[in-house]
Amino acid sequence: MKTDEKIFTLRVALYAGEILLKNGAETYRVEDTITIICRSRNYRHISPYCTLTGIFVSDDRSDGLSFLKRIKERTINLDKIAQVNDFAREFANSDMSLGDALHRLKEIDQAPRYKESTVTFFASLGAAFFALLFGGGLPDFLVAFFITLIAVYLSQWVNNFSDTPFLGNILAGAVIALFALISKNLGFVTTIDMVVSGSIMPFVPGVALTNGLRDFISGDFIAGTTRVGEALMIAVSVAVGVGSIIEFWRYLYGGLI
Amino acid sequence: MIYFILQFIYAFISTVGFCILFNVPRSAIFHGSLTGGVGWTVYILLRNPTNTSYFAIFIASITVATLGEILARIDKKPVTVFLIPAIVPLVPGYAIYFSMINLMNKNFTVFAQSGTQALFFSGFISIGIILVTSLARLFKRKHKKNIRTQTFKSRIN
Repeated sequence: MKTDEKIFTLRVALYAGEILLKNGAETYRVEDTITIICRSRNYRHISPYCTLTGIFVSDDRSDGLSFLKRIKERTINLDKIAQVNDFAREFANSDMSLGDALHRLKEIDQAPRYKESTVTFFASLGAAFFALLFGGGLPDFLVAFFITLIAVYLSQWVNNFSDTPFLGNILAGAVIALFALISKNLGFVTTIDMVVSGSIMPFVPGVALTNGLRDFISGDFIAGTTRVGEALMIAVSVAVGVGSIIEFWRYLYGGLI
Repeated sequence: MIYFILQFIYAFISTVGFCILFNVPRSAIFHGSLTGGVGWTVYILLRNPTNTSYFAIFIASITVATLGEILARIDKKPVTVFLIPAIVPLVPGYAIYFSMINLMNKNFTVFAQSGTQALFFSGFISIGIILVTSLARLFKRKHKKNIRTQTFKSRIN
């Protein structure tokens, strides 16, 4: 049956798009990949439309076949983006059967991440070097490293059973501010500025804001608005965590931090 | 000179950390971090004498995007794999956070200052990246007339 094959191809394309979007690919990459996969099997009227929270794939001319996929969770996992990219290229340039294609996409979807302990260690290392980059010294480096270790560990633990990333961010901000203030009062560092600015680097949404503006410039306004809004919300949640602890500390001990 | 080498090393190792956080494939970590280190060093090199951070960040993001495109051709991986970790030292994550915390503390002047800075930093970085990406696609279109270019044309129209 011709229609069956078409439905299957659209499913493969949609699945590839879903993996891409779930793992933090840009909007245009998702739409391009879906178009490439469909075109390689000679379906030329497919028009994909992708926002940050869902993908629509529809044939607007011949039979009106259309699919919709809701995306609920997103992380950044560049390994899967690279793998799906390879897959799309291979699929377009060969006669891979649709069953094989779906099987391979499932394998990519379930590919393991780096271990949580590895991620925690390296994220802390990166954050600590940011403290140096912003002009801190060796004490700032060490304090930032250990604080980020705790903060990343706790936020990962919260993210395991929380639906939104905001809870983890608030907790991380609070932990960072608390331990930075404690270490300043114990005399390890002279100011909390370098420690806090380094430690919050894994949590602040600089990349999200930049990606949002990239979407705006290339004309994907809805995706851009969503990404910028998400970035603002993440920044607010981190600031709430840090700010509330600092306020409370002021109330307890008074004076300037 | 020592200062710039140190800055390069710091930015390089920070980017390694963020490569792991973003789950960059193991074979691409070195190149991604190299791009990040070079981008930050270009930024510092241009910012210190000219004292104009907007110009410096624009040139730095163009450098990062160009290096990313070249490395993507060499490693046969999508540009994003090198781009996302490499812009981490440049993006104004701290400025966004700083503006929000000043908004919380009702320091509206500081909020406006750092918020504007954050917005324009991200704007310059994204314009730099889009500039290079569009040029690279034009290049590709000259080389081979394939499906991708048709997609690109339909996106423009």
